[in-house]
Amino acid sequence: MDGRTLEAVRYLGYGNHAIDDRTLDLVSSSFKELEQAAGRRIVYRIFDVSFEDADRMKIGTMNIVSQKLGINLKGCERAALLGATLGAGVDRLLRRYSLTDMARAVVLQACAAALLEEYLDGWQEEFRKIWKEGGSYLRPRFSPGYGDFSIGHQEEILRMLDAPKKIGLSVTDGNMLTPSKSVTAVIGLSRSLAPCHQKGCAECGKADCVYRRRTFA
Amino acid sequence: MFLERLGKELLYYDGGMGTLLQSRGLKPGELPETWNLRHPEAVTDIHRQYYEAGSDIVLTNTFGANALKFHDSEYQLKEVVEAAVQNVREAASLGVQDGREVYAALDVGPTGKLLKPLGDLGFEEAYEAFREVMQYGEEAGADLIHIETMSDTYEVKAAVLAAKENTSLPVTVTMIFDERGKLLTGGDVPSVVAMLEGLRVDALGINCGLGPVQMLPVLKQIMEYASIPVIVKPNAGLPKQRDGEVYYDVDPEEFAETMEKILDMGVSAIGGCCGTTPAHIRAMADMAARRQLRPRNPKEHTIVSSYGQAVILGRKPVIIGERINPTGKKRFRQALKEHDLDYILKEGVTQQDLGAHILDVNVGLPDIDEVRMMQDVVTELQSVTSLPLQIDTVDIRAMEAAMRIYNGKPMINSVNGKKESMDAVFPLAAHYGGTVVALTLDEEGIPTTAEGRIRIAGNIIEEAKKYGIQKKDIVVDVLTMTVSSEPLGARVTLDALKGVRERYGVCTVLGVSNISFGLPCRPVINGNFYTMAMLNGLSAGIINPSSEDMMRSYYSFCALMNYDVNCEEYVRRYGNQAGTSGVPAGARAPLEGTPLTLKEAIEKGLKEEAHHAAAELSKTREPLDIINTYLVPALDNVGKGFEKGSIFLPQLLMSADAARIAFSVLKDVLAKKGGRAARKEKIILATVKGDIHDIGKNIVKVLLENYGFDVIDLGKDVPPETIVDCAKREDVKLIGLSALMTTTVVSMEETIRQLRKEKPDCKVMVGGAVLNQEYADMIGADFYGKDAMQSVYYAQKIFSLK
Repeated sequence: MDGRTLEAVRYLGYGNHAIDDRTLDLVSSSFKELEQAAGRRIVYRIFDVSFEDADRMKIGTMNIVSQKLGINLKGCERAALLGATLGAGVDRLLRRYSLTDMARAVVLQACAAALLEEYLDGWQEEFRKIWKEGGSYLRPRFSPGYGDFSIGHQEEILRMLDAPKKIGLSVTDGNMLTPSKSVTAVIGLSRSLAPCHQKGCAECGKADCVYRRRTFA
Repeated sequence: MFLERLGKELLYYDGGMGTLLQSRGLKPGELPETWNLRHPEAVTDIHRQYYEAGSDIVLTNTFGANALKFHDSEYQLKEVVEAAVQNVREAASLGVQDGREVYAALDVGPTGKLLKPLGDLGFEEAYEAFREVMQYGEEAGADLIHIETMSDTYEVKAAVLAAKENTSLPVTVTMIFDERGKLLTGGDVPSVVAMLEGLRVDALGINCGLGPVQMLPVLKQIMEYASIPVIVKPNAGLPKQRDGEVYYDVDPEEFAETMEKILDMGVSAIGGCCGTTPAHIRAMADMAARRQLRPRNPKEHTIVSSYGQAVILGRKPVIIGERINPTGKKRFRQALKEHDLDYILKEGVTQQDLGAHILDVNVGLPDIDEVRMMQDVVTELQSVTSLPLQIDTVDIRAMEAAMRIYNGKPMINSVNGKKESMDAVFPLAAHYGGTVVALTLDEEGIPTTAEGRIRIAGNIIEEAKKYGIQKKDIVVDVLTMTVSSEPLGARVTLDALKGVRERYGVCTVLGVSNISFGLPCRPVINGNFYTMAMLNGLSAGIINPSSEDMMRSYYSFCALMNYDVNCEEYVRRYGNQAGTSGVPAGARAPLEGTPLTLKEAIEKGLKEEAHHAAAELSKTREPLDIINTYLVPALDNVGKGFEKGSIFLPQLLMSADAARIAFSVLKDVLAKKGGRAARKEKIILATVKGDIHDIGKNIVKVLLENYGFDVIDLGKDVPPETIVDCAKREDVKLIGLSALMTTTVVSMEETIRQLRKEKPDCKVMVGGAVLNQEYADMIGADFYGKDAMQSVYYAQKIFSLK
């Protein structure tokens, strides 16, 4: 199984269990369908980072209070804000299958999430190379809603990126991204290689979560 | 006057504003519109430079000035807009030295929100936001409204209607296309052009997103479909990044060179967008000066469109699916009475899968609120299919309501030769746009001769002209008469079909299957008549795409007449079928090997096998016996496996689907025997206000239905009041609420509070990613379901205790 299939299976809650063949077929045909339906758009900008305190910082004009993000960005002078989306086509497909085939809708949703992560990872790898040449290192992506980094920042981040116009990514009054398969994130840029920053699950305190990654690269 | 010059002489818009303000100190995230008041001299200075460079039309600095986007504690929207118009006026008096007539255009950009049903912004809310700023703009003295940088047809429709209905200003519109000629929301060039021309904007075009070179192919398409003046405002190339900062690097000379090519294509007005400067405008003005516009021909395409695609009539025959219609369909009437949108939407999706290109929508029943139903069905259909819709109603209020909220340029069914009908329908088509089906009958009835019907078609076309509706937007229906009662019915219809094509060159439509009323084996007659009609020039048949006879006629005709190049579609569809046997396409082969038992089929989630096994069993056993002995135990087994962690969500849902199919087989058997299924207990499900993620709620719904509950699905983003009203009206005892995020649990809490007060005898179960038992207790829920099966068990407990 390739990486994104593993991720999709994890999102479906299989944990350590083997996946059955029929679901696996659903996963691979869903990825195929997403190739057609999913757009891949990203927008980012670099901003200065300044700290007032360990948990109080400013990215560009945005004031943030977050201990977790503070740890993530410690030692960074700059950070990239980014927004990325698979577009409205995926949402329409999900609605359609919610009507006619719920099993497929559920699998498609997991695959779309995996696809978005894979897209971001691929983009970030290129981004890392470019910045490494200039002597900067990347911190792991950190999104509003992780730990104590409030999702109340979504609207401001999108505004700073001009994301509705640039990639069609907007936010509802309840701070939900629309289209739904979308991400915003902060990536810290530092002059020194910070030790041992882990990705995603390791940050999170909920150790008994069924979706938790079992191993870390 | 602007409109007297537009399209007759070359006009220049201005160039970028945002990038120039940034170079004067505007920060990312700062509202540029506040600069109209905070730094009027800077804004005016930029405008002045554009006028000096040669711009005829300068846009006010109001791109984001709408109530949804502009939130500022210091300034009011109204004063911002007034100052913005004033700044342009001031700049004109400073910058225009040669006495030429120039214009201040109120610049209107997108709201920055996604509209329903994918986002949370209502169509009328968007309309209101645009209306407000447009009225301020007109009051402040703007000469025209320029709506730009739009990437959603729905939002742009709201903006154009707001401008047309609340101001008397000219309206020009430019949208962002990508290099493939698509909007961010998926729309293509013909669908956008058709909708905007239908809404009667004064000019349309493209801005932002691309540089002039990348715009060339997109523009070529626009010129192929557009009849009205076209505007082009590119960026100064594609965006590049240096040190994380965006910049554009096509210089003024290079920019002007490509713009010259763009003018050669027949464009009426040019300007620039991001990264362009007064120097870019000056370079264009120096290059092209006041050159003559290239003459253009009006386009004759008959187009209907949705948000995502256009269907062009008059080329390859088009299939209009007729299944969304209650006539003669008991189950469909029931769905309408129960407001069962899922059933209706499935009819739409099925027809699309079967090959329909347009869907007819008729939801008229004497005892329902057709206006509301029509709006609901049109809106929801447009969230699951990108096929254009045909709004089919005799209720003129329902017609207008649907035309207003429709995303695209709809087909309208119908107008006829009666004065009363034309007086009612044509003003709507002139206002909202649409391709109108014209029935050839008038006050005298339906003429019995072909000539009589052709004459009425001519009268309708003439009358439409008075409203500015062109012939290309009239599709004539010469009416199918029943051949069993009118011996010459078919011949007259075919002659009339041919006649209107030849005499007026209009497209045509027919409801084909009327022909065979009263005859045995109707599909045989229908299929043959359909072929004959296509041969006589039928552009679009309103047919049932699940009728294999009709589809055979269609695919054969297309293959024979070279509409289906290399017979590709034909081969794809019939390549696996042997000879001319009566086996319909997609009929499944008999099951091989030992047939699975019903229990196995459900546990493995195999739909066809479950169908087969249930049908077999029902030959020897009673339906209720089968349900209790096989179906329920199988479902229980799967449910337990899910709880133990040996079966996972996709499998659980596949089993649920197989069980649903077995149930429906048994229900049919029961109905035939005159029996009735037990009365079902009602449960309301809703995703709470502010929350637009509904997959979890939908999973719960599928399972509850499986266990025999009658689920009333109120959808997503549902206000507490709606839930309370429904609970009281339907006297529902159990309500399931879903929320994804902490921000929307607040709405959940409020909903529970209102339910406790207004409907104290009902129980509330909650679920969703953010919830846990503690949280559920805190907001006063009766039950927290950690997964979908838990809500089934809880529902069973609640209703068995009674």
